[in-house]
Amino acid sequence: MTDLMPQAAAAPPEAELARPASLPWWANPRVGLVAVIAGLVVLFSSLRPSFLNVDLTLVPMQADIAVFAVVGLAQLAVLSLGHMNLAVPRMAALSAFAAGFVYDRMGVPLLVGLLVALLVGALIGAVSGLIITSTGVNSFVVTLALDFGLLGLVSLLYAWFANGVAFSVRPAGMDSLRFDTMSDYCAGNVCGPPIPLVVPFALVAIVAVGLFFRRSRVGREILMTGSSIRAARLSGIPVARRIVQAHGLSGLLCGLAGWLLAMNNGAFSATLGEQFLLPSFLAPVLGGTLLAGGAVSVLGTVLGATLTTVIQKGLNLLQFELDQLNILIGSVLLVALSLDRVRHVLAEKRGTRA
Amino acid sequence: MSAPTISRTTPRVRVTTELVLAVLAGLAIVVLTITTNGNLLQPGTIRAVLQFLAVPMVIGLSQMVVLAVGQMNLSVGVLTGLTAVVAASLMVDQGLSPWLAVPAALLVGGLAGLANGLLVVLTRINGFIVTLATMTIISGLRYGVNGTGTYQNYSPGLVDFGQSSLLGIPVVFLLAVLVALVVAWFFRRSVVGRNMLASGGNPIAAMLSGISNDRSVVLAHTLSGLLAGVAGVMVLMMSGSVNASIGDDLLLPSFAAPIIGGVALVGGVVSVLGTSLAALIVRLVDVAQAQYNINPRWVDLVVGGVVLGAVLLSQSRDRKDDA
Repeated sequence: MTDLMPQAAAAPPEAELARPASLPWWANPRVGLVAVIAGLVVLFSSLRPSFLNVDLTLVPMQADIAVFAVVGLAQLAVLSLGHMNLAVPRMAALSAFAAGFVYDRMGVPLLVGLLVALLVGALIGAVSGLIITSTGVNSFVVTLALDFGLLGLVSLLYAWFANGVAFSVRPAGMDSLRFDTMSDYCAGNVCGPPIPLVVPFALVAIVAVGLFFRRSRVGREILMTGSSIRAARLSGIPVARRIVQAHGLSGLLCGLAGWLLAMNNGAFSATLGEQFLLPSFLAPVLGGTLLAGGAVSVLGTVLGATLTTVIQKGLNLLQFELDQLNILIGSVLLVALSLDRVRHVLAEKRGTRA
Repeated sequence: MSAPTISRTTPRVRVTTELVLAVLAGLAIVVLTITTNGNLLQPGTIRAVLQFLAVPMVIGLSQMVVLAVGQMNLSVGVLTGLTAVVAASLMVDQGLSPWLAVPAALLVGGLAGLANGLLVVLTRINGFIVTLATMTIISGLRYGVNGTGTYQNYSPGLVDFGQSSLLGIPVVFLLAVLVALVVAWFFRRSVVGRNMLASGGNPIAAMLSGISNDRSVVLAHTLSGLLAGVAGVMVLMMSGSVNASIGDDLLLPSFAAPIIGGVALVGGVVSVLGTSLAALIVRLVDVAQAQYNINPRWVDLVVGGVVLGAVLLSQSRDRKDDA
């Protein structure tokens, strides 16, 4: 493996996932994110003690973070290439439709529906990757067109197969996924922590994506393709296949996100996932993943999703209106990114002086 | 230095794309006319087609202006909504006359665009992300003006004017054509416009020939915001009532028109005629949906296909040109 990838062997494994070693620790955006999240939690819980209420706030918040972390990872999978996936919302909607369809028509068990959603997501993602590699058209345009197409297709599918807007089917176990937490399951006197049952699904995805980009050959080659497609091609990486795989992974994660949201909502509807586009960029970008490709931060994405969810829940409790919420979230994104720039410039200056 | 190069290479590509689009639009009109037993050519139908073509055209141009310098503007749709709501609020809540409210709306659009441009240049953050953030902010501001409430009867005079026709052609459409002509002149003849194209086509060459790329980017975003303001005013003129949901469905069409019209995302190329023709084709898909009573969702599916098809076509032609 090292023979085929001399560059990877030369650089320490952290170099591509974390910031270059020359930057000091405070230039790491994840440290800043943790500090901001902690500060906000203290602020919100001192203003509204109910922010720390387990059933009202913490449990639903974890369920939201689970969904939006996966949504962020879906975007991250193609940001690794320097590509974008504007069809994240509709890929999630199509996958959720597929799951709803098999639950409704075939009465399959819960996990089989999940597999169907993942499969459909991966397929549609791979299709978009194939279009991009075979035509050489910008990923932005391809996924934009795909989003248009899927937007129409998904509502047509619901109109044909669900008599309107939603499947009302509830496969066995869906309600416990939606309402139960681990504290409902006890072994003797010892009960689990108050963590909703959807969280482990997201955790598996987070760990798997992290390992994929850090340890697996395909993942590392995707990152190399993202940092320099020419260099990657010259070092014998099958660039086209890696692009298709990255888009397939993005679709797969869209499928998971769509399925998780359907579980949280308790319904498979045509409008599912339409709010995904902004968060899909918000989480990885706040977490320090660049749009240029070649570097990803999985942990940062999770923290980015956590930050936006904390802000959302906190402001909700403080009875902010949706419009004020939007203004604040947009401003947070701008301020965070500007600070990131400042931090970077400062760190580089310091690095050269030292 | 770089301006002649651009004018030598681009018109060939542009003319063929425009020709293909014109033929396509012509064919669509003939087919629609025949299959609807001439209904399409009734004066009332023509008026409706053209009236609702105005906003997509201008919003497409608004996106095209930033694409020209290799940028994107995700805030065009919500900005259209914001300017319409602000103007209506000024007339209803502040009692201003339309003569003041309309320029104020354009000013809001231009200033929002200027803010986008300055943010991109000063922070060096990717324009996609900057406008994603400002889109969120503007969408909040849009609801902040009047919540989900609707403004009505803000100015009967303005609405009468907006719904009137000149020689059977809606006034708003004539306005859109005027805007398109000005934009076309701007990129073809004015030094500032040529400089913007040069910045978009090859920033390094532009910089070496003494053009400020930062100025081009700021200017492009400002113009884009201004055009979104124009679209907002058009919405205000055409319908007697406006609310904060205006603009939600404009973002994707804003990209569809220039992309189908042959404007590349890498910058340096514009096609006002192509963008306008593409907007017309998308409008004809809408008309077909209405005439044949098709599920409106087919429109999105077809438009997605058309966008992809158009890009594939121009791509394969470019490859042949290269070979």
